[in-house]
Amino acid sequence: MSDLHRDDSPAAFNLERREALVLGIALGTWAALPTLSAQAAVTSWSDESADRFLELSAVLIPHRLNAVVGKRIGAAMNALHPSLSEQVEELLAIAKKKNARVVEDFFPDVPEGPLKESALAIISAWYLGVASPAPDAEVFAFEYALMFQPTRDVMTIPSYAISGPNAWSADAPPLSDVPEF
Amino acid sequence: MAGERSGDGGADLVVVGTGVVGCLIAEQALDAGLSVLMLEAGPRVERWRIVENYRNLPPSLRLFHWDAPYPPKPWAPHLETRHDKEAEEYLQLEGPNARAYLQGYVRYAGGATWHWAGICWRLTPEDMRLQSQFGVGRDWPFGYDVIEPYYVRAEYAMGVCGPSEPALQWPPNATRSKPYPMGPIPFGPGEHRFTEVAAKIGMRNLPAPQARNSGISYDGRPACCGNNNCFPVCPIAAKYDAATALPRIETKGGRILVNSVAYRIETDARNSIQAVHYFDSQKQSHRVTGRTFVIACNGIETPKLLLLSKDDRNARGLANSSDQVGRNMMDQPKLIADVEMREPLWTGVGPVQSSSILNTTQGTFRGRHAGAMFRMENFARSPLGAAAALKKGLVGKALDREIRRLAACTARLTVEHEILPHAENRLTLSAKRDWLGLNKPNIHYDVGDYVRRSAKEYTVPRLQRLAVALGATSFELSPEFLNSDHIMGGCIMGSDPATSVVDADCRSHDHDNLFLPGGGAMPSGTASNSTLTMAALALKAADAIVRDLQHT
Repeated sequence: MSDLHRDDSPAAFNLERREALVLGIALGTWAALPTLSAQAAVTSWSDESADRFLELSAVLIPHRLNAVVGKRIGAAMNALHPSLSEQVEELLAIAKKKNARVVEDFFPDVPEGPLKESALAIISAWYLGVASPAPDAEVFAFEYALMFQPTRDVMTIPSYAISGPNAWSADAPPLSDVPEF
Repeated sequence: MAGERSGDGGADLVVVGTGVVGCLIAEQALDAGLSVLMLEAGPRVERWRIVENYRNLPPSLRLFHWDAPYPPKPWAPHLETRHDKEAEEYLQLEGPNARAYLQGYVRYAGGATWHWAGICWRLTPEDMRLQSQFGVGRDWPFGYDVIEPYYVRAEYAMGVCGPSEPALQWPPNATRSKPYPMGPIPFGPGEHRFTEVAAKIGMRNLPAPQARNSGISYDGRPACCGNNNCFPVCPIAAKYDAATALPRIETKGGRILVNSVAYRIETDARNSIQAVHYFDSQKQSHRVTGRTFVIACNGIETPKLLLLSKDDRNARGLANSSDQVGRNMMDQPKLIADVEMREPLWTGVGPVQSSSILNTTQGTFRGRHAGAMFRMENFARSPLGAAAALKKGLVGKALDREIRRLAACTARLTVEHEILPHAENRLTLSAKRDWLGLNKPNIHYDVGDYVRRSAKEYTVPRLQRLAVALGATSFELSPEFLNSDHIMGGCIMGSDPATSVVDADCRSHDHDNLFLPGGGAMPSGTASNSTLTMAALALKAADAIVRDLQHT
């Protein structure tokens, strides 16, 4: 009866086109940031940059990280901050110097200022699934956004129920039992 | 009218609006063998599209911006709240409590039940007799005994689950003529703890009757599996929304015209309704005729359309000899308290709302100040906990522990007050016009001393006691009253045509073949969710409509 893309409005006003417009506005918003100028050649973000970004992410965040999501986060953050590659190298250097296996080993040695802000921004992007607070921010992850993981033994990831009809109860595990992820 | 397409060969019944009220009436009429044409201002969309819109919203918009997955069409604007400027675009709001009328409804086929909570409280007998019992507000023109069978029909039409023990039912002292079609939905840990804590201070947290399939499928829709995003959309249609009725309406022979914005209701020489004019998405005008007309566009859009339709016979707008169209605008003025606690409350298990405290809505104090409904919100607080923990600059294990703690040990408590109908809380036509050139709605709103006194003497102290009982270490109250999205009063019901717009069947006093059912007809706002009462009124109107059309 109805096809999968049913939306009875003229093409100029359909929802898909509106999304493309919204993304266009979002990119326009990013262009207003002082880190980008009309002439700026965006630092080329190579496969190697992406790999180094993932390597840094792994040492900043002691959890299983999705490589596909990571590639997208890295590319988008690089568009926002063209100095990202250099900061990635600096942060990896600090980690190496401390023989860091986990973030607590080296994070106190990260100097306050743009470097620490970048490190926190990277962590935030993995947890929230967005790299900017804008209402039109590109969403990298929802189900895989890490913010849901520390409570995934109790709290549903909205719209991703893993349960059954009335299959929940009033039981809750201890607050101290942080799930592995 | 130049360029206007000539009318459809008229239907028996023309229904403007495809929300819960319009769809219930359309289906009753079709089942009685009548022909039905429905007009819907906005588009028809598939559920998967709304779920995708929702999942692709940034986390800042996934909570509290319930219209965000429903971008409006230019010809059918509704509230958008991605930023403040956007929020001022469509509804023109003024008055001391303008913020409390920032109503989020959806001008799509299926209407606002796309994103409702699904909660289905009934009124109590006293709720319908405020004037004679307490000397405030208005009485309904009939009693609980008259609406009770319509409540049953509405509960079965939508599929409402609820408790079978009378001790857990609402209203407390009124017998149900039929059981709920499905048993209650289990509490999660948060609701269980909240119920225990509230009981210690005399507040009874009851399982909410809700239009959600409980344990079994119903009406061809699956059982609730706890997706916990009832608002803004149930991904699997376990929650009733009117969009699920549309395919059935079409199968039964109903015609639905979408992207069709009604802008004028036309009277004939006898001041009966003979046609409705609408614009399509190309701004072309069309005219449809019928024998009986239902305007069910919601409590803002229906009075707006009546005012837009003024003509020589009806200088103040249609159905408005009483001058009450657009007046008495009501909702439940809401306050929220965000608390942090020493122990977890654990939201995010089961539906986003599954219980409420209602014994605080009833009592002799209603002669003096408003009653109110209290509840905890059960949406998963993990994104809020994460955002707050990240702001603290934490990393590693400390970050994860703090996310877990803040997600589990914070809560939002809500209280919704009953407002009285006031003539000055009024919808009029703004000078500002929308994309089609139609006047935007302008609403003046003041919650009144009846509500403010309640907040000061009754509800805020009780919120504070709840917080203390929960072991709260912090308590932050919203600085002003907020909307609850239950739009009522603008086409108020009564037996006296001089002071009301519609009669006990939601039939206009002025036009014998015009019905205005829905929240707009309710003479009392009460403190609880209005949808079940609207649905009952829809079915009562449907009975009158079918009687009319089958006998002529």
